[in-house]
Amino acid sequence: MSNTSTMVTLTIDGIRTEVPEGTLVIEAARQVGIMVPHFCYHPKLEPDANCRMCLVEIEKIPKLQTSCSTRVAEGMVVRSSVPHVESARKSVLELLLGNHPLDCPVCDQGGRCDLQDFSHEYTPTVSRFKELKRVFPKQYLGPVIETQMNRCVSCMRCVRYCDEVMDAQALAAEGRGTITQITHWAGNELECDMCGGCIQICPVGAITSRLSMYDYRPWMLKRTETICSYCGDGCQITVQRKDDQLIEVNSALGAGRNNGDLCVRGYFGYHAAEHPDRVQQPLVRQADGSFAEVTWEEALDRVARQFTRIKATHGSDAIGGLITTRCTNEDLYLFQKFMRVVIGTNQIDSGARYGHINGVRALRRVQGTHRWTIRYEDLAQADAIMLVGTNVNESNPITALHVKQAVKRKGAQLVTLESLLPVRSTVSNITTLSKHHLEVKSGQFSAAILGLVKAVVESNLVQEDVAREAPEFVQTIRTNVAKVSWDAIREQSGLSQTDVETAARTYSQAERAVVLVGREVLRSLGGEGLVTNLMDLQILTGHLRRSGSGLGCLAEGSNDQGAVEMGAVAEYFPGPAGLHDEESQKTLTRTWGQAVPAGAPATLPEVLTRARTGDIKSLFIVGDNPVESLPGDAGVTEALDALEFLVCQDLFLTETAKRAHVVFPACSAMEKDGTFTNTEGHVQSVRQATEPLGESRPDWEMFSALSVLMDHPIEYNEVKEIFKEIRGVIPGYGLLGPASTPPKVDEKTVAQYVTSGFKEDVDQRYTLDASPAAPEGALTLRLVQSLYHSGKYSTRAKGLMEIEGEGRLHVNAREAGRLGIEEGQTVRLANDGGQATVSVKLNDRVPDAVAWFPEHFDEPVRALFSLKVDPHTHVPVWKTAHVTVTKWSSTNRSIEERSRV
Amino acid sequence: MDTQKQTTRLLDAVLFREIWKAMKVTFKHMFHRPMTFQYPREKRTIPDAHRGALGLLRYDNGQERCVGCDLCEAACPSRCIKVISEEDKSLPLQRYATEFYIDITKCVFCGYCVEACPVNALAMTKMYEYSTHDKRTLLFDKERLYEIGEQHLEDAKKYLYAHNQEHDDEESRAYRYHFPQPIEKTEASDS
Repeated sequence: MSNTSTMVTLTIDGIRTEVPEGTLVIEAARQVGIMVPHFCYHPKLEPDANCRMCLVEIEKIPKLQTSCSTRVAEGMVVRSSVPHVESARKSVLELLLGNHPLDCPVCDQGGRCDLQDFSHEYTPTVSRFKELKRVFPKQYLGPVIETQMNRCVSCMRCVRYCDEVMDAQALAAEGRGTITQITHWAGNELECDMCGGCIQICPVGAITSRLSMYDYRPWMLKRTETICSYCGDGCQITVQRKDDQLIEVNSALGAGRNNGDLCVRGYFGYHAAEHPDRVQQPLVRQADGSFAEVTWEEALDRVARQFTRIKATHGSDAIGGLITTRCTNEDLYLFQKFMRVVIGTNQIDSGARYGHINGVRALRRVQGTHRWTIRYEDLAQADAIMLVGTNVNESNPITALHVKQAVKRKGAQLVTLESLLPVRSTVSNITTLSKHHLEVKSGQFSAAILGLVKAVVESNLVQEDVAREAPEFVQTIRTNVAKVSWDAIREQSGLSQTDVETAARTYSQAERAVVLVGREVLRSLGGEGLVTNLMDLQILTGHLRRSGSGLGCLAEGSNDQGAVEMGAVAEYFPGPAGLHDEESQKTLTRTWGQAVPAGAPATLPEVLTRARTGDIKSLFIVGDNPVESLPGDAGVTEALDALEFLVCQDLFLTETAKRAHVVFPACSAMEKDGTFTNTEGHVQSVRQATEPLGESRPDWEMFSALSVLMDHPIEYNEVKEIFKEIRGVIPGYGLLGPASTPPKVDEKTVAQYVTSGFKEDVDQRYTLDASPAAPEGALTLRLVQSLYHSGKYSTRAKGLMEIEGEGRLHVNAREAGRLGIEEGQTVRLANDGGQATVSVKLNDRVPDAVAWFPEHFDEPVRALFSLKVDPHTHVPVWKTAHVTVTKWSSTNRSIEERSRV
Repeated sequence: MDTQKQTTRLLDAVLFREIWKAMKVTFKHMFHRPMTFQYPREKRTIPDAHRGALGLLRYDNGQERCVGCDLCEAACPSRCIKVISEEDKSLPLQRYATEFYIDITKCVFCGYCVEACPVNALAMTKMYEYSTHDKRTLLFDKERLYEIGEQHLEDAKKYLYAHNQEHDDEESRAYRYHFPQPIEKTEASDS
């Protein structure tokens, strides 16, 4: 709409205004400050004009018109407050109130209800209705949403939101006339994305949250705008609290990068921060192995003394550090500064090692940026979008919304390479929107991407100017892909030549094409190579330098991108700049007043190996939980037990923290100030919404306090001073406003890459490595991200636990039939590593011969997996295993118990 | 002039006229009905509209009137009311106050809370004797407030009548809002 530059002049209530052609009258009125009352209209939704509240008089049209569905025209004269318009609205209200129970005093919406506001404005104090009011029983839509249909004004906003925005279609209107009610598909519990959108968009109190029902009145709430800490999308949320009790989280229309949309984690996951298990006092391990609560002074002093001692006796490199990417940029920056300046080691790593680093390294190598060259707005404008191993709806739900919008509103062609079946259900599935869905066999993205490049090269889709400028590059790839046959690709990835070629053609021929790469590529062996291959694909089709086109790697942690940019990874200084980058060394030496350490860096697997061998005597683990985020055979517990001194700084006493000598209580993201950098590289402020629980403090304060005690004071008065220092180190780093300009591809790097850079590993990248064949009759078990959870943190959120409270084995109905199992039954999974007993849930989007298990509840099945480390980037890969599945009944169990006796 | 004035002053002094003047009032009051009364042995009659201690009321069937809507808390100018409410699990949608506190030391007896109450659960009574040695007992909790309401039920009702909030007993039963339950079909009448 806003693209059209033609402006139309119209008069609304005597005010002349100019708006773009195609604007709705109600929007034009809003722009000049006239609020036309409405229920069914919402800027995110297509006009429906069912509530008739927004009637206005338009000159030369004999009858009143609904302003939410009428588009402006040149010379239009609109009157919105003449007596007969007002009397029409009064009648509409009288009709609505005819069936509305007057229970405003107990309604959670009372005080911010459109119907209440308009009733006050138009005061229809008398009703001519003598008929009975309709009576609907209260209804629970699943564990967190409830409806009270007596209050419904049938505006259908929820149904339309669920369909148009979420693409879930979980809600529907049932019945006719006054007895219309909103319901989900009968017979089952509501199973949907649980995004809470219906609650947010309901203009009255007909759909409300069960988590905070009757706990508050809207005027009691204090609001804080901050950033959600569950995934890399970086949604702006409004945290609302009554005194110090968290009441609800929502997001205002137009707020942040999410435009007011939230996912289930953002909307219902806010209780995690105030879980009773939070560590609230510094803990120090006693001689008998138990923890004692001590004062901050004692705990800090102990850590400072031990660090000083270890540094003096064993050298700086006897201490290593790990940090989670749920920390703010300021925490991450100060952590690496503390480790580099005070301790003097480069042995630090962060959660970005679990996969995000693969993407950043490839981007830096090929296009010379560490961020996306696209932003969400480009997704909306794209002609083609390709998703590669993202499962975007689960991992980054708000990015998924942008993709859905692009497909549904703008008609972008979606190409999906996912290990998902395109099955429609009331939980949205991005592959159902796909024009070309290539169902890649689990974990075989290498073959699929190779197929895409092969299709582009062999179907003559290579841009002419690329072939002219970099003939050697094109030729090398051509000879390399020629060595791989289509049969081999089909064998491994399960994709046929024609399918891959059609998809490649769709992508290549699109003017603006965006590629999104997700965890199944980033968290795989050779992930950096796979992203590089996708970059090659972009170079070949000419999309790399085209504006509006580009490749994005989806970050999973809320600050994965920030962790890399703050230099909290082994291979980079803040910037990120290479450890041998002289310019950066000079800047850092100047800023820190001390030379940067020259010691060798250590990645997460290296840190753990060195701890096991005794080279590292002490670890400082901030929020990371390697014991529970790596499989049993990774030897994390052995490594931690071999340490002389382990310090953990966490919200909860995790399995890792239980092994620590000192535990510092840290603040959650809701309790501190700072910034997060989201997946598209947008730096956004995190603001303190609640008081720190107990004695917990923001992470940076602890680093600062330790540095003072260790005679290397790094002091700041407030978190903004750290950010100022970051801006000194990384010029221009900062809050970029609502519409940032993404970085441009670095021409020099690209030129260097296509002339010589690609050569070093092109042969390895374009070969199919023989994947280990699954044993006969075995199922591929994959630990996957669930839509309702994020890491282990969300399993402390009571709302999310009510939606999904335990890990269940997801298999499709065909596979279940083959195995002879049914929903809810218990099965035994076994392989060489161990065995586990879990219950089954049928999920039709799981591919054949594959079973999914949510990684958030991986505790019982972790023994089945074994760790592989990417030889190049050291990314730990372990989320796939082959298992045999057998039915497990209570008789089995009793037999086993008897045999044990 | 001066001589006359001086004579009057002399006479006043000799005859103790000022004392007689004062005694006149005294003697007059000897035959007057006393204005004071012997509190606490005697108590005065208090008008119905008197704003005394607050009490919470029940319906005649014993059900708590209060639905925990927090409107009294919102109306209170001295912020002495605190309501914590939740859903009555046995009656879906029925909201009720799990806790209700009035810090009577802060209360300014304005009666706004009574006016704000949509179900007339709050009323002011004629109770004013609650001095205590322990200040903590002046934070009236829900139990105490219902106790006051029960003890001073008649006064509370009269307060509501006097302030035109309720007209008779009938009205307290069939109240202006039928909530939280919607109107039942069987109960409805044409009137």
